[in-house]
Amino acid sequence: MNNFHDEKFSSIEAVQQEFKQAGYICSRQIATTVYLAYHLCKPILVEGPAGVGKTELAKTASLFLGVPLIRLQCYEGLDESKALYEWKYGKQLLYTQLLRDKLDQIIKGENGLDSSIQKLHQYDDIFFSMDFLEPRPLLKAIQEKRGAVLLIDEVDKSDDEFEAFLLEVLSDFQVSIPEVGTIAAVSKPFVFLTSNNTRELSEALKRRCLHLYIPFPDQKLEREIVRIKVPDISERLETQLVAFIHEVRKLDIKKVPSISESIDWARVLMILHVDKLNVDLIHDTLNTFVKFEEDVKMVNEQLRGLAEKALNVT
Amino acid sequence: MDRILETFILALRGSGVRVSVAESIDAMHVTDLIGYGDRGTLKNALSATLAKTLAEKEIFHLTFDRYFSTDVPFDHTYDIEDGMKGEPDEEIPLVAQMIMSGNIAGLAVAMSQAALSVDITGIQFFTQKGLYVRRLMQQMGLDELNDYIRSLRAEGDDESARIANMLEQGREDLTVRARNFVERQYDLYAGSATEGMMESYLKNARLTNIEQHHYQQIRVIIRKMVKNLRDLHTRRKKGAKRGQLDFKKTMRSNIAYQGLPFDTRWKMKKIDRPKVVVICDVSRSVSTIVRFFLLILYSLNELIEKIDTFIFCSNLAEVSSIFDQYDLEEAIVRLQTGTGLDIWMGRTDYGQSLRDFWEGWSGNLTKKTTVIILGDARSNFGETEVGILKKMQERSKRLIWLNPETPSLWGSGDSEMKRYLPFCHVARECNTLNHLEKVMHALL
Repeated sequence: MNNFHDEKFSSIEAVQQEFKQAGYICSRQIATTVYLAYHLCKPILVEGPAGVGKTELAKTASLFLGVPLIRLQCYEGLDESKALYEWKYGKQLLYTQLLRDKLDQIIKGENGLDSSIQKLHQYDDIFFSMDFLEPRPLLKAIQEKRGAVLLIDEVDKSDDEFEAFLLEVLSDFQVSIPEVGTIAAVSKPFVFLTSNNTRELSEALKRRCLHLYIPFPDQKLEREIVRIKVPDISERLETQLVAFIHEVRKLDIKKVPSISESIDWARVLMILHVDKLNVDLIHDTLNTFVKFEEDVKMVNEQLRGLAEKALNVT
Repeated sequence: MDRILETFILALRGSGVRVSVAESIDAMHVTDLIGYGDRGTLKNALSATLAKTLAEKEIFHLTFDRYFSTDVPFDHTYDIEDGMKGEPDEEIPLVAQMIMSGNIAGLAVAMSQAALSVDITGIQFFTQKGLYVRRLMQQMGLDELNDYIRSLRAEGDDESARIANMLEQGREDLTVRARNFVERQYDLYAGSATEGMMESYLKNARLTNIEQHHYQQIRVIIRKMVKNLRDLHTRRKKGAKRGQLDFKKTMRSNIAYQGLPFDTRWKMKKIDRPKVVVICDVSRSVSTIVRFFLLILYSLNELIEKIDTFIFCSNLAEVSSIFDQYDLEEAIVRLQTGTGLDIWMGRTDYGQSLRDFWEGWSGNLTKKTTVIILGDARSNFGETEVGILKKMQERSKRLIWLNPETPSLWGSGDSEMKRYLPFCHVARECNTLNHLEKVMHALL
């Protein structure tokens, strides 16, 4: 991300504005962090409850910068060969078979094992060169000439070992491949790491990142988000919907509805041509944003009270 | 690094946010980039670099507001003499001049400069507050001010007396201001020192002597301890045990042999979690320790395969189910009061309790189990049933006896510890948090 995009990152306000145009409403906190991350060349570690737009932030950033988004989804058991690179074993085998005659020719003139091996040594590294290397997301991100947005999603799901391995990539933007050497980034990628906090990340990783916590937005911000994602929505419906979602979030339920669920609900209501909420309607469409049997039951029990509070705000 | 940021980071550390050197350097770059102009932006930006968990963010917000709300202007380039009316007089001390001309801003700057030179960030204990107020005043020129007032009084005319009164009033104000200033600085910087002291005190104090109102803090310490233990020991869980053939790895490592599997690789997996049988004396003399012991043990439950808990007093009862039904804190309270449990809280009877265990649950002991007995071995001169303990030792992997009394008291009076001792793999004194921590290390 060196210098290519300086004009886009001229100020925090500019970032906020540009992101809005790309369809992502970000709070000042988010814009500030993105701005800093660009100027300090640091990865951003994004935390927050599920569905507040952590992944979306990275996608928007790639759109905003006009560079490819390279995504690495973490899971338990993810290792170097899936994240960084792997040798193309098939290709190596195939080539050695095909080139057998050629190899014979090369060592033909030599007599004795020693000199043959000496001769072969000259061609040593052919089969372990970049041509036989299958780049995986991390290596790919580093090789992108004009930079890339690298999204390391749900890093908390990966093992401790993988996290430790990420440190080299994140602090120096380089990777070491024993057979080839160290490959440094031509243009440093813009890195986002997301975490759902299923486990504590290590201090070392945190130290290398800027930390951004995205909470659920307040009503005003969420209304803006719904409006930009579902432009046809009427103002009254939008206010009622967001107010109701906020009431539901206050309940002690298993999975609180996230922003993406508010948006889904808004879309559902648009399909039903609704311009005003009422209790029956909420009851019928409840399952778009409450996803557990017990939760549905609980919301249903308190539906009247909740609806009253939310629908009267207008 | 500039002084404001440096002291702010000190203050953050004081409130318990861990800020590394690398992070402070980042923070410095950040302030270079955005400056101190916009408070909101500064707060957002520093929060991204310095506070890295949700809890830390909360502390950060509080500390930021407290730190940057002090009435001292940040602008250290402010020249004290700018605020003066007319030419400064060489004869009159600077402080006196500022008081006379009502130059509050000048006084505030002078105070913060004085604070730098007396190094107020070193304040640690509330007893030092007076000391720092005095040093601060001295630095600002209290002595000169006093001399000046005295000389004015000596002159004796009305005008001098009026000025002297005014200066005395000003001095009072200034003292109050200095005291407030020191109070605030104390709040900012002293947190960590006192907290650290309290923590080490609580870790080494006998749990039975710790008062009820410290329990909250102890819980915090235990939480830290548990996290440490967990971090240390999760890694070790993984390791080697021959299992299935790992086909991919084998292929990869045998490319050199044209794919003929000379060098076989195996899927490694090892479950090395201890099974624990805990037998706790819940008579009054031991119950506090039992409480914290169980709190730690159950907090570590993901590192332990299975915990069977028994409590005894006059007889023995199995209570593992209580922990399944209620959450940890409540379960422990229930154990202590014995509500709804089949237990008789009379004289402690070790013999009866061991017999009960052997008859009812001896099948629970295998070569994988570690037995932990927590009790003072004071059996009120009843039977000891040493034979049963011997059999328990033979059946289990380890038998650990934790005794809240110091070893010198073992065997005195009705303590049967000496007779149980030969059949314990390990017997330890255990009455502080530190002891508990060591036991857990040994267990895992």
